[in-house]
Amino acid sequence: MKSVLYYIKEFARREWFSKFFTARTAPLESPPYFRDFPVLSGKTCTHSLFCMMACPAPGAIDVLRTPQGWQPRIHKGHCIRCGLCVEACPNGVLTSGRILDSTGRDGTALSFSFKIRVDPELCMGCGNCAVACPVNKVIDTQMSHGGRASNEGLLLRVNEGKCLVVHEEKCTGCKTCEHHCPNEAITVARLLEAVQAGEEMQ
Amino acid sequence: MRIEDVICPFCGCLCDDLVVEVQGTTVVSVENGCTLAHEKFTGDNRLQAPIKRDGRTWHPVSYDEAIETTAQILLEADRPLLYGWSGTNGEAQSIGVHLAELLGAVIDNTSTVCHGPSIMAIQEVGHPGCTLGQVKNRADVIVYWGANPIEAHPRHMSRYTTYADGFFVKGAFLERKVIVADVRETETSNIADEFMHIEPGGDYAVLSALRAIVRGKADIIPSYVSGVAREQLVRVAEMCMNAKFGAIFFGLGLTMSRGKYKNIRNAVELTEELNRFTKFTISPMRGHWNVYGSNEVFTWISGYPFAVDFARGIAFYNPGETTSIDILRRGECDACLVVASDPGAHFPKQCCRHLAEIPTILIDPHVNVTTHLSHLQIPVAVTGIDSEGTAYRMDGVPIRTRMLYKSRYPSDREILEKIYQIVLKEKGP
Repeated sequence: MKSVLYYIKEFARREWFSKFFTARTAPLESPPYFRDFPVLSGKTCTHSLFCMMACPAPGAIDVLRTPQGWQPRIHKGHCIRCGLCVEACPNGVLTSGRILDSTGRDGTALSFSFKIRVDPELCMGCGNCAVACPVNKVIDTQMSHGGRASNEGLLLRVNEGKCLVVHEEKCTGCKTCEHHCPNEAITVARLLEAVQAGEEMQ
Repeated sequence: MRIEDVICPFCGCLCDDLVVEVQGTTVVSVENGCTLAHEKFTGDNRLQAPIKRDGRTWHPVSYDEAIETTAQILLEADRPLLYGWSGTNGEAQSIGVHLAELLGAVIDNTSTVCHGPSIMAIQEVGHPGCTLGQVKNRADVIVYWGANPIEAHPRHMSRYTTYADGFFVKGAFLERKVIVADVRETETSNIADEFMHIEPGGDYAVLSALRAIVRGKADIIPSYVSGVAREQLVRVAEMCMNAKFGAIFFGLGLTMSRGKYKNIRNAVELTEELNRFTKFTISPMRGHWNVYGSNEVFTWISGYPFAVDFARGIAFYNPGETTSIDILRRGECDACLVVASDPGAHFPKQCCRHLAEIPTILIDPHVNVTTHLSHLQIPVAVTGIDSEGTAYRMDGVPIRTRMLYKSRYPSDREILEKIYQIVLKEKGP
């Protein structure tokens, strides 16, 4: 009993109560370096999907077709706010914190390039890759309607019984060819490099 | 010399969009063709001249001597068999049937070991089929049953079915569903939307289950039918019923497994059931190049598509009795002319042994397994490379093949014509 009274006397002090209910702290404000979930910057998305390719968190971002055109959509439950999507977007469609300011100031960017490798031992020359390729579809309708190459500018074609990568620089990294290769003969490597202004064009 | 729109002489797809570069009498490059086409055009294992077996060795003979020997062997035989025909053109096949009629021989083609059961089923219940162009332009559900087109018909999916943009299916594979039914995982099943993994010999039961579901009797289906879950069967049946246009392609996994022609009959009847709901077609994946043509040519002339026996003076057809395998297995035939095929690589051991015992003559451009069973081989030009002629695509579309360069070899047609003339002279009209 004596100890209980001691504790009441120690803690039930008027000063303690008044400070507890009238405490004043500085209002919460995001610091300028804070990086929140990416939001739309208002610039036009060209559906290059580099944001999705750069994203390290599964299911954190996708790009949807809306009445206003293509738009990236962030899934906050999955997003880890790393900002790679913001840096990888070639059009600055997304923004988060000071990322765009600093990349603009420093002239830095994340640049994608794609390397296509065909294993001639596995390739049957079926042409699924070249016919399904969305880049080829735009370049040559004869290719997309049955595999006849009638254009020199094709990304992929079948030659000498094997898939031939003709214009690798046209690859957009979509991996349609890889997903539809029945023999797992074709692989697309997405190379993400940090570059400074001017380097990208070299 | 660069030649465009060349027809491939390998499989039943008869791709007609190849671009071939020829230097002299050699094909140096092939564009648009698959690996099989490339090897067919550029392969160089041609036999240089007719060869005749002499004990354990071979010695070259002239074409005239080879033709004369062949004719004499066929004339002296009591029960000659003329087998093969799928690698050559319709004109040569036509001479073959007339030769068989003159000799009172049995003439059979490679259907006997591939889609013979399909033909027997079609004779019973018909063939709700269509050309590959229809499939390409309309089909939104493709079923491959017991077939692995990536290995056997590599361009089938990219040229005619799944990946090709069609007139009414602009989005190609994005708008199409591919269902594969097989006893094992295959390259084709790797890229299928639905893979029915059927236990070996269970195709008939699975087809019957699908027919029951299509007829609204899903509740009587057990939990598993030959290894396929009821839920998957219902899903596949609904996918087919909801199709705008469906196409079933079946291969030797269906024709040559337990049930044989009854499997095909069941598949055709499933197609008929599906046509109560939507448009559905079914077609065999004819493998050997012009094997469909040999069925056509045999039928025009004799009324029967394969295994035609002229021993009675009239055409007689009874698969199981007049088919090559059965004739050879019984040791019945005493001379065999093999044209444009390789039974040595495909026939059972017992049949091959008999082929080696009797005088077997092979008319084929290449050295193959049958060469080692033969007594005489006559090399000829390859139809579609250095000889021209008509061939039938797997959907029954006749295509005229081209001669890419002047050959130093005679064509099968010329050789067979000469043999025919000798036999005609002996036998009389």
